[in-house]
Amino acid sequence: MAAAEMTSDGLDRDLFACARGDAKALKRIFDREAGRLTAVAERIVKRRDLAEEVVQEAFINIWTKAHQYSPERGSARGWIHAIVRNRALNLLRDGRREELVDAERLEAMREAEQIDHVLAAFAALDRDSRLRACLDTLDETRRRGILMAYVGGYSHGEIAGRLCLPLGTAKSWIRRGLAALRECMA
Amino acid sequence: MRVDDVHTLADDYVLGLLEQADEMAVEAELPHNIDLQRAVASARDRFLPLDMTVTPVAVSATLWAQIEPRLGGEQATVADGTRATSGAQASPIGHQTANDNAATRWRRAAFGGMAATLLLAAGLGFSLTRTPEPVVVAVLVNENGTAQAVVEDFGSNRAVVRLLEDLAVPAGRTMQVWTLPSREMGPVSLGLLDEARSARLNPPSLPRPQNAQLYEITLEPEGGSPTGRPTGPILAKGLARLPR
Repeated sequence: MAAAEMTSDGLDRDLFACARGDAKALKRIFDREAGRLTAVAERIVKRRDLAEEVVQEAFINIWTKAHQYSPERGSARGWIHAIVRNRALNLLRDGRREELVDAERLEAMREAEQIDHVLAAFAALDRDSRLRACLDTLDETRRRGILMAYVGGYSHGEIAGRLCLPLGTAKSWIRRGLAALRECMA
Repeated sequence: MRVDDVHTLADDYVLGLLEQADEMAVEAELPHNIDLQRAVASARDRFLPLDMTVTPVAVSATLWAQIEPRLGGEQATVADGTRATSGAQASPIGHQTANDNAATRWRRAAFGGMAATLLLAAGLGFSLTRTPEPVVVAVLVNENGTAQAVVEDFGSNRAVVRLLEDLAVPAGRTMQVWTLPSREMGPVSLGLLDEARSARLNPPSLPRPQNAQLYEITLEPEGGSPTGRPTGPILAKGLARLPR
């Protein structure tokens, strides 16, 4: 995706309007993006109802934090997606760490889902995209680790477990994979 | 911070791979560190195409209706520091929103605890050279973020709880100290606090305590939780840190 494409999608204008208190601009973002954002959140929290809850809270955050957005913070889309992703990850962590009693139930729910679903995101990337080409240069395990983290919201520990690697090994593989990816895309 | 470190940190932050304490540190640093802002922005946009591979779903017809009434209230309450609850009451998932509020409070509380832990851990480096060092130290905070207790876990069946506040324990109840060595093991009792004062505990044999391991104190029936898992309200909790 070219940078020009991302800045010309009007999301930045709508964010600036939100910062001025224009609720119609937030509604425009919602109408265009809520379906996609819910799907992004659902890949992380695994349930549609929770994904909608994430998106609901995210839109309140977008509204109250819109004044913090500026083009130096990256694309408007990247900023909006980051808010949704943060809330989705926090929901997972609250379930994991803050309610001991519920931890097992949530874990069971996550065991049930398919990692294939997460890896499918890679296959669905545009063949000509830079990210696709650079991910392609990584070895399978490093690529999987990075995709599981970004797409599925898995922690280091979860990735190590799924890839049958010691935690320290998984961490350093992911770290090296990310560095290689940065270099490739620079 | 070296240039590489900034990018490594930004990548881990964007991928959600940082420990909670480090994530909070990044968020605190972001507003006044341009290099970090740029690195985060560039990492976000680097991975964004993966988000664009989803097939958008049809969201519930009521989703916007749940957002809209909260817009005015939320902005109005930013100033006074409280959060609108009218939207939550009107919402069919109001209880979840209430839980979320509680979670936010705990997160904030944990942040306060984290800072306290770091200070304490720094202090311990100087003061504990003569005595055996705990493997981890956790500052447990209540829902308001006030430090209530410190747990020093020495591993090998020894832990010390120091209460920092007078905790009110109703008759017929007792305080129980827990930790979560791993999700597989689930919560394990470190022992009971029969009186509301600092105590030495003799926990069962557990894996060596880890950085960021959860510790908490709950209020349980006299004699301890009947189920072997925490059942009562949480009085205080916090994540362990390794003394440096």
